[in-house]
Amino acid sequence: MASSKSSSGSEALSKMSLEQLKAIKEQADDEVNLLQDSLSNIRNATARLEIASSALNDLSLRPQDNWVLGLKGPHHLGVSVLLRLLSKWIISIKFVGKKMLVPLTASLYVPGTLDDADKVLVDVGTGYFIEKTTNEGKNYCERKINLLKSNFDQLVEVASKKKSIADEATVILQAKLKQLTPST
Amino acid sequence: MSSSTAFRELQRELETKANDLSKLQKDIAKNHQVRKKYTIQLGENELVLKELDLLKEDANVYKLIGPVLVKQDLAEANANVRKRIEYISAELKRLDATLQDLEEKQNSKKDMIFKLQQRIQSLQAGKGKA
Repeated sequence: MASSKSSSGSEALSKMSLEQLKAIKEQADDEVNLLQDSLSNIRNATARLEIASSALNDLSLRPQDNWVLGLKGPHHLGVSVLLRLLSKWIISIKFVGKKMLVPLTASLYVPGTLDDADKVLVDVGTGYFIEKTTNEGKNYCERKINLLKSNFDQLVEVASKKKSIADEATVILQAKLKQLTPST
Repeated sequence: MSSSTAFRELQRELETKANDLSKLQKDIAKNHQVRKKYTIQLGENELVLKELDLLKEDANVYKLIGPVLVKQDLAEANANVRKRIEYISAELKRLDATLQDLEEKQNSKKDMIFKLQQRIQSLQAGKGKA
């Protein structure tokens, strides 16, 4: 069955029996769903990266504000920065002398002071963190975003091809069913 | 009489072969899962290696060990990540070999089951005529 899927599309599909057609349609639908999930994952990750990147931007532009560290996402009191939790590319920031609120739990914040606003620790995966300047951090975010965007585009291509196969299979299946059970 | 015992025996054989086949298929599925995990880890480690390669000699690298961020030497971090990549690649190769082996066994089991089914069918046809 798998080999006939890759051969000349609709002719191969229409030659197949009803059972095979149903199986192929289901398989193609499952694949399309998987691909859609991956696509939305990539979109989420890209969004998080862009948030981190803009936070870095703000950090470098406005170091005088009071800072609030958010556990789950940026709130806008001055600007807050994402801490490591959900995202892989969350950046933890060492601060400089400014007053800020540090989250200890999701509902408990403690006042603290900043240490150094020029360096950021970037989570690069597998437990490794790299100290970079805010500019390098921004570069990192941009690189990752570009990588994700190209992955996204590739996936979109594959997904649309799979979807067209699934749609064709559905159409042919319905046509065959109509042939077998003509309703007057 | 003897034909029905032979019939029953064939059926029993078919059952055991079918059990073997389903066990093989479970093993193959597990193999796929482990392969997926390793492939993801490999990709992650290669990303880390790329980042580490971009660093200058004096950049600070930290590793998260439990709840502690420990400062690491860049050369050491590089070596560690490389070793991990090698290990994962070796594991993946091993899994590939196992997978091929399992798939061959699965195909031969399927053939045996098919032949058994044919024999059973011909027996039934023979019994029917007699």
